[in-house]
Amino acid sequence: MLEQTLNFLQALLDQTGAVNFSLGNLLMIMIGCVMIYLAIAKHYEPLLLIGIGFSCIVANVPGPADVPGGPAMSALLYAVRDGGLFHYAYMGVEKLIIPPLIFLGVGAMTDFGPMIANPKLVILGAGAHLGIFVALLLAKLMGFTLSEAGAIGIIGGADGPMAIFVAVKLAPHLLGAISVAAYSYMALMPMIQPPVMRLLTTKAERQIGMGEIRKVTKLERIVFPLVIAVVVNLFFPPVAPLITMLMLGNLIKEVGVTQRLAKTAAGGLMNVIIIILTVAIGSTMAADKFLTVQTLEIVGLGLVAFLFGTGSGVLTAKIMNLFLKTKINPLIGSAGIASVPIAARVSHVVAHEENPKNLLIYHAMGPNLAGVFGTAISGGILLALLGAG
Amino acid sequence: MHAIVPDTFQGAVIVSIIDFFLSFLIISGIGVVLALFPLLNRVAAFLNGHTPGHGTHGRQKDAANAKSAHEDPLLPVAVISAAVTAMLDGAPNRVVSIMPVQGTAWVNEARMRQYGSHRLRR
Repeated sequence: MLEQTLNFLQALLDQTGAVNFSLGNLLMIMIGCVMIYLAIAKHYEPLLLIGIGFSCIVANVPGPADVPGGPAMSALLYAVRDGGLFHYAYMGVEKLIIPPLIFLGVGAMTDFGPMIANPKLVILGAGAHLGIFVALLLAKLMGFTLSEAGAIGIIGGADGPMAIFVAVKLAPHLLGAISVAAYSYMALMPMIQPPVMRLLTTKAERQIGMGEIRKVTKLERIVFPLVIAVVVNLFFPPVAPLITMLMLGNLIKEVGVTQRLAKTAAGGLMNVIIIILTVAIGSTMAADKFLTVQTLEIVGLGLVAFLFGTGSGVLTAKIMNLFLKTKINPLIGSAGIASVPIAARVSHVVAHEENPKNLLIYHAMGPNLAGVFGTAISGGILLALLGAG
Repeated sequence: MHAIVPDTFQGAVIVSIIDFFLSFLIISGIGVVLALFPLLNRVAAFLNGHTPGHGTHGRQKDAANAKSAHEDPLLPVAVISAAVTAMLDGAPNRVVSIMPVQGTAWVNEARMRQYGSHRLRR
């Protein structure tokens, strides 16, 4: 009788996920909790971190064994595998449907005025991408193939959709780790960038004020997406799908006669995509897949790329100051790393802490937006050179 | 896939150097194109100036707008009074004088409120 009861209890226990719970799961659940904490308490990109953190937690709560002796699978992973709702969400990432749609939404909500108004600052969009190549070289030294190293390096562009796009083309098997690293670091930029920015600048440099910039007319705003779309399609076909959609989104915003479309692209559509994307990314963070040496190497290289990108942006701004009559605040250099508008906001906040009268957000948006093009150009050249264009 | 560069560390160095410097070059090119954008305004102004009646029509429209804004001088007073009352939670108050702000103090204050709320770890 007792033995039979124990057997029943054991059978009941076997149908839960508790027996398959590992220390790795616990660690990943803690990471997910930290992400949610940072989103809620520190306001670090809650739109990204809430979805990724939640999915990370649920993906690490093991369910019962799928088949006798088979792997434990969480409820979320059930949804992610073939036929599940999020399987199709992940297919959207894998089949490069979601990245162009994200760019459409970003274009529809972005004011390119700061970039048009101050063209000399666009150089910072290239200067802040040294991290891509530092990570690429380190990855190669660590034994990754050149294609894999290129895909890992593009994390340093701090542009999530572009990182996904290049990873799918160059190293699709690394997509999960690369997208997790790119989006996690983008969300954590308010923690990653300021120490590097302060290390490379003096207090006096951080306090440099920047004057008003010229007003950009509607005509310029309308011509801008048209010119860029033509230039990119002409010279950078490998990344044209993304930039073209970015420019289409921007055009429907700026023309002023398609508010309905702009509102949808920047609002409802973008929100749906963010939910799908964050769940798709977070669901790849199951301990058995994520806690591998290779994934940890990629995550580490991503951090290196972000640190070097931030540093090189600041240094590029300092070099520019050697030649400029009216000095620029070097803190806006780090905004050239892309990740719109997170990096620009970090530049603004750090400068504002040094000098409460310093309002750099509009100035920092120029290099920040140029950074999107910088990442696209770097990615396009990588794809062409590595034969994936 | 037909890679142009060999899959070696030397290949990685070559890719990095080419990509980094080409990025600078191309971004600079975009900067040059953007620097030419103000010319668009001049062209537009030139074309507008030569369109029969267009310039006169624009000036008439501006004058009409200015007139309508001045037609009801009490409108801004009502709006400002309502805003002050809302900020003071309905407490009794009296607007003594209203004058236009010189400079960008209000804009700066709004920006500071909006962007100064983010806390960063030192």
